[in-house]
Amino acid sequence: MQLPSWAALGPALVLALTALVLLGLDSIDPDSTHSSALAGISALGALSALGLAGWYLLAGTGQASTGGPILLYGDALVVDGMSLFFSVIFASVAAMVIVASYDYLKGRTYQAEFYSLVMLAATGMTLMASSNSLASVFVSLELASLPSYALVAFLKRNEGSVEAGLKYFLIGAVSSAVFAFGISLVYAVTGSLLLSDVASGLVDAGDFVGVAGVGVLLIAGGFAFKTASVPFHFWAPEAYEGAPAPISAFLSSASKAAGFAVAFRVFVEAFPIASVVPMGIDWPLLFAVLAVVTMTLGNFAAATQENVKRMLAYSSIGHAGYALIGLAALSQGGPNGQVMGASMAHLLVYGFMNTGAFLFIALVEHWEVGRTFEDYNGLATKAPVACTAMTVFMFSLAGLPPFGGFLSKYALFYSAVQGGFWWLAAVGAINSALSLFYYSRVVKAMWIEEPSTPFELESKPVGLYVAVMFAAVGTLLLLPGFGPVVETAQTAATALFA
Amino acid sequence: MNQWIAIGMLGVVGVALPIGMMVASALIRPRVPEQGKTATYESGEVPTGTARIQFNIQYYMVALLFLVFDIETVLIFPWTVIYRSALAEGVSLSKALVPMLVFIGVLVVGLVWAWRNGAVSWVTSPRALRRKTERQQ
Repeated sequence: MQLPSWAALGPALVLALTALVLLGLDSIDPDSTHSSALAGISALGALSALGLAGWYLLAGTGQASTGGPILLYGDALVVDGMSLFFSVIFASVAAMVIVASYDYLKGRTYQAEFYSLVMLAATGMTLMASSNSLASVFVSLELASLPSYALVAFLKRNEGSVEAGLKYFLIGAVSSAVFAFGISLVYAVTGSLLLSDVASGLVDAGDFVGVAGVGVLLIAGGFAFKTASVPFHFWAPEAYEGAPAPISAFLSSASKAAGFAVAFRVFVEAFPIASVVPMGIDWPLLFAVLAVVTMTLGNFAAATQENVKRMLAYSSIGHAGYALIGLAALSQGGPNGQVMGASMAHLLVYGFMNTGAFLFIALVEHWEVGRTFEDYNGLATKAPVACTAMTVFMFSLAGLPPFGGFLSKYALFYSAVQGGFWWLAAVGAINSALSLFYYSRVVKAMWIEEPSTPFELESKPVGLYVAVMFAAVGTLLLLPGFGPVVETAQTAATALFA
Repeated sequence: MNQWIAIGMLGVVGVALPIGMMVASALIRPRVPEQGKTATYESGEVPTGTARIQFNIQYYMVALLFLVFDIETVLIFPWTVIYRSALAEGVSLSKALVPMLVFIGVLVVGLVWAWRNGAVSWVTSPRALRRKTERQQ
C-alpha cells in the first residue's frame, strides 16, 4: 500500500494535532487540571510522532532508495532523510520533556497550555527541518520561537523566569528582524525564495554579489540566534537559568538541533559551495571562525560558573560550537556529507545526554536542594540512581570513552581532519579536555564531597525519574548503536549535497 | 519627451493646488474671533484630564484576538477572489475549499479556547474596585 504524499509530513501533523486536542480539552473544562490525562495525551502524541518518523526513516521515505526527496505544497516543504532524522531528535526530546514535566508541573495551573505550547514548538521545529523555501523557513522558525518565549516565562510569579522570557523575546525579535532582512536581500538578488531557485539565481548575481553576501551574513545571524552561537548567544545563559528546567532541556537540545537542521539545509541547498565560494561569499570560513569562538567562549565561561544550571547553559553554547564544525569543515570536493552527517549524529547523542542533564537539574529543583555546586555535595548518598545517571551525562558530554558522547565527538573531529580542517578538530579536542574540568566538578560534588548541612529528600517523583533514566539508557545505547546512527545521518547529509 | 516630466508636473500641481487654496482663503476670508472656536471640541464637549491615561489591560487581549482575525482576512480575501473561477476550471472542492476550512478550523480552536478561558469576558479588577471605594470614603 502506498501512502499519500502528504502523509510524509506525518510527524509534524501528529504534533500539531496533539496541540489542538490539548487546547480543545482545556476549552471543555478550563477550570480544573487533569494532569495525568494532559501529560498522557502529549506523551502519546510525541511518541507517535517519534514512531512515525522512525518508521519512515527505516523504510527509506524520501531517500534515494524510494525515489528521492518528497516535495510538497509547491516545493515549500521537503521530506528527506535529513528532515526525518531531525524529527526523531525533536520527538524523542519532546517525549522526555513531557514525561518529566508531569512531576515538575504538579500543583501548577495552566498545564494544558504548557503541554500544547511544547507541542506547537515541536511542530515548528519539525517543519524547520523540512523547510525548502526561505518563506517557510521563516514561518516555521517563528512557530518554534514564539511558544518558546512563553514557555521560558511560564513561572509567571517568578522574577527570574519572567526576566529570562523578556530577554529571550527581545533578542529573538532582533535576530528575527536581522534574519528577515537577510532573506529580503537574497530575494532581491535572486528573485526567488525557493532554495534551489536561490542557488541558480545566485550564479548570475553579477554586480549584486555584495548585496547577496550581506544577505547570507544576516541569514547566518538568524541561525546563530536559534543555535545559541556567537554572536547571538547572550540570551542562552539567562533563558536556560530562568526557565523551568524541563524547558531549558527542550530549548538547549531540540531547539538548538532545529536551528542546525534548517541552517544545514539552507546553506547547502541555497548557497552551494561550488558556485558561491568562488564569488567571494566564503560562508564555510565564517562558520569556522564562529565555531572556534563559540566553543572557546562557551567552555571558558562554563568553567567559571558556580551555578550548575548556568554551567550547563554555557556548556550548551560550547556544544553549539562543536556542531558548527558540520558547517565549517566543508570545502569543494571534500568529504562534506561525512562532516555534516557526523555533526547531525552528534546532535542526536547530544539530544539525549543534554536533555538528561537538564532533567536531572529539574529533579534537584523539585527537591529544592539548591543551585550551586556546593549544594550538590553528597547528593549521591541520598539518590544514588539519579546521580549515576547524571554521572553518565556529565562524562558523555565531556566525551569520555565508554559513553555515546565519545563516539559522536570522535566521528565529528575525525571527519573534520579528513576534510583537511585539522586545526578545527584540534581546537575542539582542546576544548573537550577543558570541559572535563567543569563536568567532573559536578561528579566530584555528588560522589566525593560531604554535605555541609545534612538534608533529606522528600519524594522520588516517578515521571522525572523515568525521563532521566530514559535519557541515560539512550546515552548508553548510543555507544553500541552509534554505527547505524552515523551511517543514516551521513547518507542523509550526502543526499543533501548531491 | 521624458515621461518623468508628467510625473514631476503632477507633483508640482499636487503641492501647489492646496497651498494656493489655503493662501487665497486666508487673504479673502473675514476674521471673526470667538471663544467657541478655540475649544478643543466645537460640539461643546468639555475635555477632562490629560490624554495620557492607562487603559485597562483587557483591551490588550481584545486587540490580540482582533489581530489574529485581521490577518486571517488578508488570506481569505485573495482566496474568495479566485474561488469561483478555480471551481469553474475544474479544481476539486477538496483542493479549493478544504484547506481554507482547516485553516479557519485551527483558528476557531484557538478562539474557543481563549473564549472559554475568559479572554473576552470583562472581569472586574478587585484592586481597581478597592481604589474606587477608597476614593469615595
